Amino acid sequence: MEAWRLVVTWGADPAFNMGLDEALLEAEEAPPTLRLYSWSPDTLSLGYFQSLADVPGREQARALVRRITGGGAIHHVRELTFSIAARLDHPLYRGATRESYQRVHSALADALRAAGVDAVPRGATTLESDRSGTGMCFHASTPLDLAWDGRKGVGTAQRRRRGRVLHHGSIKIGGSALETGVATLPGGPTPAELGELVVAAFAARFELAFQRAVPEPAERVRARELGARYLDPDFVAAR
Amino acid sequence: MSQKSSARSARPDDRRYTESHEWVKPDGDTVLVGITDFAINELCNGNEGDLVYCDLPEAGRALDQGETFGEIESVKAVSDLYAPVAGEVVETNAAIEDHLEILSKDPWNQGWLVRIRPNSKDLPKLMDAASYEQFLAEKKH
Repeated sequence: MEAWRLVVTWGADPAFNMGLDEALLEAEEAPPTLRLYSWSPDTLSLGYFQSLADVPGREQARALVRRITGGGAIHHVRELTFSIAARLDHPLYRGATRESYQRVHSALADALRAAGVDAVPRGATTLESDRSGTGMCFHASTPLDLAWDGRKGVGTAQRRRRGRVLHHGSIKIGGSALETGVATLPGGPTPAELGELVVAAFAARFELAFQRAVPEPAERVRARELGARYLDPDFVAAR
Repeated sequence: MSQKSSARSARPDDRRYTESHEWVKPDGDTVLVGITDFAINELCNGNEGDLVYCDLPEAGRALDQGETFGEIESVKAVSDLYAPVAGEVVETNAAIEDHLEILSKDPWNQGWLVRIRPNSKDLPKLMDAASYEQFLAEKKH
């Protein structure tokens, strides 16, 4: 069994959420870390290279940040948000980017089956949730994306830096006016309930022993230092 | 292919390589910098349409060795690009930002990213093609 750290931060503010993810990406000495979190207030996050103008619904969210991971915009509400920070030579991330997605998504699919849905990679088909012109991650799909009921339900993206990776993702529990038509989970589990299924699935599939811990003091300080940039209007409107 | 390749290596031996998969090739009093086929395959796995954005620096920017000089996004992953040498950016390959498929088609020649005027005539010790091949072989295990 490989030791992993589990960091859980429910309902944190957007700057801290983004800052802590980047702090974990920087934490070279830390063990591989799975983080589960949610947002307060509800927040729209833009993809790193995404133009602000390409997300016409952005004002419907109560806060706005730009992520350091790529892809489309996500409305972080009624969802479980997660991140994984690890070395790129970890077996989960070694090799082609595409293969690392397949491995991580396989564990997420296990968790979603336990939550009562048959989540499978989209493959060559298009999805009912695909929409043009919204700029939303969940309205665009690739073959590796997990879907159920013909709709996208999981969006993930990576940042790779100095031999490490931050793999960020959202699993939709309920809908949002910004993300119409996406997959949702029956029974509306809480993020914490869904998070337990995710932890169990990663532990079982990859033989991991999770040790729940709060972020190290230095990581928390760094999270606050880094976090301010994510709300900076110059950074948010940089594209 | 105009450049020579060693018998042992599929990669050009007229340049040096970093562990973060950049290459640096002397060209007069400047060097050209790009990323290797291995890096590109890791990002897009042979599907050139998977490369979506590339940000390169403005000419005139001073770089330290190892400093991030740009960023590249494939479908799903944003990766940093690192300067193999310290120096000043004197030119960027303007064609790349609009035609990322060049990187897949010809990473060694047309796919250069930036031209740097190094601070020192002596380039840092980096891997030659054979050493880079060996480094990649060891990474697989």
